Amino acid sequence: MTTASIARPTGVLVTAVIGLVVTGGIALSGLLGKGGAAFNTTSDGIFWGLPIVTYDYFLLTSTGLAMVASIALLAGARDFAALAKRCVWLALAALIGGVAVLALELGHPVRALWAIPLNAQAASPLFWKVLFVAAYLVLLLVLFARLSRPGWTLASVRGTAIATLAAALGVTMLAGLVYGTMTMRPFWSSADVPMAFLVESLLGGIAFTIFFTYLAYGFDPDAMPPQLKALLASPMPAIFAVAILAQGLFVGTRAITGLYANAEGLQVWQDIVGGALFHLELWVGLALPLVLMLMQGTRRPGGIQVLAAALVMVSLFLSRYEYIIGGQRVPLFKGSWAPDLLLYQPSLTEWMLLLMAIFLMGLVYALGERALALSAEPKERAA
Amino acid sequence: MAKWGMVIDLDKCTGCQACTTACAMENTRLPGENWQDVLFYHEGTYPNVKLMWFPRPCMHCENPSCVEVCPTGATYKEKDGGFVLVDWNKCIGCKYCMVACPYGVRFYTDEKPVVEPDIRSVFPGKEGRQWSPPYQAPQDDPAHGVGIQPPGVVSKCTFCYHRVSKAPKGVADLDESIPELKEFVPACVRMCPPKARYFGDLDNPASKVNRLIADKNGVRLMDETGNKPQVYYLSGGAAASVPRARASRAKA
Repeated sequence: MTTASIARPTGVLVTAVIGLVVTGGIALSGLLGKGGAAFNTTSDGIFWGLPIVTYDYFLLTSTGLAMVASIALLAGARDFAALAKRCVWLALAALIGGVAVLALELGHPVRALWAIPLNAQAASPLFWKVLFVAAYLVLLLVLFARLSRPGWTLASVRGTAIATLAAALGVTMLAGLVYGTMTMRPFWSSADVPMAFLVESLLGGIAFTIFFTYLAYGFDPDAMPPQLKALLASPMPAIFAVAILAQGLFVGTRAITGLYANAEGLQVWQDIVGGALFHLELWVGLALPLVLMLMQGTRRPGGIQVLAAALVMVSLFLSRYEYIIGGQRVPLFKGSWAPDLLLYQPSLTEWMLLLMAIFLMGLVYALGERALALSAEPKERAA
Repeated sequence: MAKWGMVIDLDKCTGCQACTTACAMENTRLPGENWQDVLFYHEGTYPNVKLMWFPRPCMHCENPSCVEVCPTGATYKEKDGGFVLVDWNKCIGCKYCMVACPYGVRFYTDEKPVVEPDIRSVFPGKEGRQWSPPYQAPQDDPAHGVGIQPPGVVSKCTFCYHRVSKAPKGVADLDESIPELKEFVPACVRMCPPKARYFGDLDNPASKVNRLIADKNGVRLMDETGNKPQVYYLSGGAAASVPRARASRAKA
């Protein structure tokens, strides 16, 4: 069994701790001092702001990583299985980061712990999402525990991997249904939203896997075990490219539909497509990485893969932001005195919550990399 | 059991906002938290401009989408009366109901004040409430969303549940011109100067609200959503009418 060594692991840990203390401190002082007034959300239309974007982004990143780990374990390819334990830990780290931000956004987060399960509102997509997230968290912990047993084999974790994959798929699809079932909001309402979320989640999982695998080996491919290095050289770029293409198709068709249709709420698409963020998301965040992963000369070098992964990670965040905020920017039943499109600029507290989630995920990951042997491989590989 | 409904005659409504003010006073609402609101819309271009004003309470729908999406059951439909209410003891402030409501009638006041200075800092909340003004109305029933809400929960029009729920059983209409029933009439209905609002039992064939809906072709707002509001609008076409769209500007 090989072990990874993060270049300067203490550096990652210290950065994460300092970042978490600073950003968490600013965010908490804002919330404790002003309560919900620390956010720039309003009852005029922007109900769900940057904290919900952050939560959704980290939740889907988590499920994507879990899907990558589960598929790697189930595919029977031992090379892929070497990624699994790190992906599962990252999935846990992302989930913690996302849920922490959600807890600070809700009016009464502790009440949710009993009010949701005890009232069993089966008609609510959010009820099922919370139920599946709870099951997903338990399964992630069980899977990680099994991957931490000495001499674990692919066969010994097969059942747990299947269950984890099912839970991850369930959480992702339900997260899509939360928006897709809103038939009164044409911007969000569509039967394909769960599929779009699935593609986003999987792409995020692949991007985070690539980025953090290189990070674990100090961004030095020569420090990696030969099989892992070969995996990242090929077929990973091809898999990454296919996922980027799928996401690009969803982004493109959603934009075209939005510009074409006359339904209420879709008039915001003219503003979205006219803005810089959309083009950053599409051309720099998706098209460029796609080209880099397709071209012979650029798909193998580690530095370019890391760059492509980082660009995709940012693109997915922008996509989530535009989807959630965009769906609320047209004020509905507020009369002529309301502006045509609501403007939303996240407050300092909201930005700090985003950074806090990043540092929290980084801290949990770094602790795992130091102490939990995230490069553990199945017994079949070691033999 | 009654199914309380409201009928608003847009031919009589003058857009005076007395209903908005009455509701705010009756329910001790924060500035900008207009449970009952009059929305102004304009259509056309000069010189052919049409100005419309549209009173919009909570619709207390028969198939409320807000009730379906609530993960805790905090938002619920009361069987007796058909009120759609919020239990502030269960609400977690997720705001999914605000997203799901097609009519924009819900409020989350744990946010930046609509009007400065923030009156919550002038009258800070006591006993876990959002604010505590000296002139607050006496009714307080958090389980039905009546009174001043605690921070972190969603609030909305209750059809003056604290009044209507005490009305004598079997009454067809709650009419403020009948002295015995005056105290049970919702504030917006009671205060309306041109008498444009009516409140009665939609399940009682003899009620005036049913007669008005039939005689003057009462319509519901956004019927295509399937929510089946219990608020009907009458319009003979002479004056204001139901807005054609929710957004004030269509696609360019």
